[in-house]
Amino acid sequence: MKNMIETKNLTKTYKAFTAVDHVSLHIKKGSIYGFLGPNGAGKSTTMKMLLGLTAPTDGEFQIDNLTFPNDRVQILKKIGSFIESPSFYPNLTGKENLDIIRRILDLPASSVDEALELVGLSEFGNRLAKKYSLGMKQRLGLASALLGEPPILILDEPTNGLDPAGIHEIRNLVKSLPKRYDCTVLISSHMLSEIELLADDIGILNHGRLLFEGSLEDLKFTAHEAGFENDNLEEMFLSMIDEDNTNRKQRLKL
Amino acid sequence: MRNLTIELKKCKRTGILEVLPIIGLLGALYAFANFTVRKDVLLNLPLPPMDVLLTQLYGMIMVLNMFGIIVATTLTYNIEFQGSAIKKMYMLPFKTSSIFKNKFYILFVLLAVCIVLQNGALCIIGNIFLPSGTFDLLTLVKYTGYCFVSTLPVLAFMLLLSSRCENIWFTLGIGVAGFFSGMAMSLSDIAIFLINPFVLMMKPAVASTASIDMKVLILGFVETIIFFMVGWYLGKIKHYE
Repeated sequence: MKNMIETKNLTKTYKAFTAVDHVSLHIKKGSIYGFLGPNGAGKSTTMKMLLGLTAPTDGEFQIDNLTFPNDRVQILKKIGSFIESPSFYPNLTGKENLDIIRRILDLPASSVDEALELVGLSEFGNRLAKKYSLGMKQRLGLASALLGEPPILILDEPTNGLDPAGIHEIRNLVKSLPKRYDCTVLISSHMLSEIELLADDIGILNHGRLLFEGSLEDLKFTAHEAGFENDNLEEMFLSMIDEDNTNRKQRLKL
Repeated sequence: MRNLTIELKKCKRTGILEVLPIIGLLGALYAFANFTVRKDVLLNLPLPPMDVLLTQLYGMIMVLNMFGIIVATTLTYNIEFQGSAIKKMYMLPFKTSSIFKNKFYILFVLLAVCIVLQNGALCIIGNIFLPSGTFDLLTLVKYTGYCFVSTLPVLAFMLLLSSRCENIWFTLGIGVAGFFSGMAMSLSDIAIFLINPFVLMMKPAVASTASIDMKVLILGFVETIIFFMVGWYLGKIKHYE
């Protein structure tokens, strides 16, 4: 299957600190790729590089065979994104916020209502964004990513701040997207159970290094081979991170 | 044109579009009130009537304009930083440098409206209060253009500053410091002080004649173009981070 997103030795360093360390990702077209890692592992930084928000120190990446910075506009036309926290104009209503993005993307006016409907924010569309609750802001951010049904979605912890019902609703929504219009989703979360229910493929990141990449079945098999608990993803993930942290400490001592 | 419309839509409920026209009205009212109350004192000054009309009222009008510009430029980028909206803009398929460019165009037009309102008032005052045959419309128009050009560097500089500083108080602080530096340096004849855009803006206000200083005019154009180009270029090459 064709890879929609491919990175090769992607690296980002800030002075002496390496946030992303030679990460090579392979994200298949039409799949949901779960990006796992503890806080500070480099998930958001990797996603920011894919969106051109920050420049890689080393390495390269391709999105649908296009590269930054030459094809910046072409790449961003294909991507709907939501990074870290929702971005919005507090002085505008939810609808007006989406209308700004709609105009930039040159979409029909009806796409705003469709996006609001999709994330369950229709009845609050005319409320000022600064008066939204955290969960509503999160939904607005998600609506802005889904506007115009982009072929690629990059979602950084999209269920943060949502109540359990909201999490369930958004999870089902994200899960339905590849079937609905054949999009590719890169989603990060620290909710491991969440990714387990969503993703076709998984990448595990720790201290900027990619510890694992493959399907859930591959991960179970790898973990089993390495003697990890294979009851659920959380156990495997924690075991992998623990082992990597121990190795890292030993390397630092040496 | 599409990007300009988008920038205008972003300004809704912020007061950005209203600040400079309101300053223009305040300046016009001040000019009327001052000339009505102090007409005899002003017209008895040892200056030609047109010089009195153009220079004796401009000091206060200039201060109003300067603070109007500081507030408008600061607010213009504050809406981008407040809800991290600018982050979303950097993730969308359009030229991010157009944000600076279009914000500048909007404020340029609003400043022009402000100055037209103020000088429209001066035109009416000149026709009503100046001795018959002394009001010269062409001199007023030329001096209006001169004041406008000497004001533009502050607009471009403050917009550049607010585009780079997320903290609203930092931008406002520099604006106020700029005002005081202008107050302190504008009375001096040292040419290098004219690099300071605030000094340049104050030069017509501290002159006692309505003659046009070519040095100020040329530097006004040059500084505006430099600050505009730097702001536009940084918007183009800088990443969001």
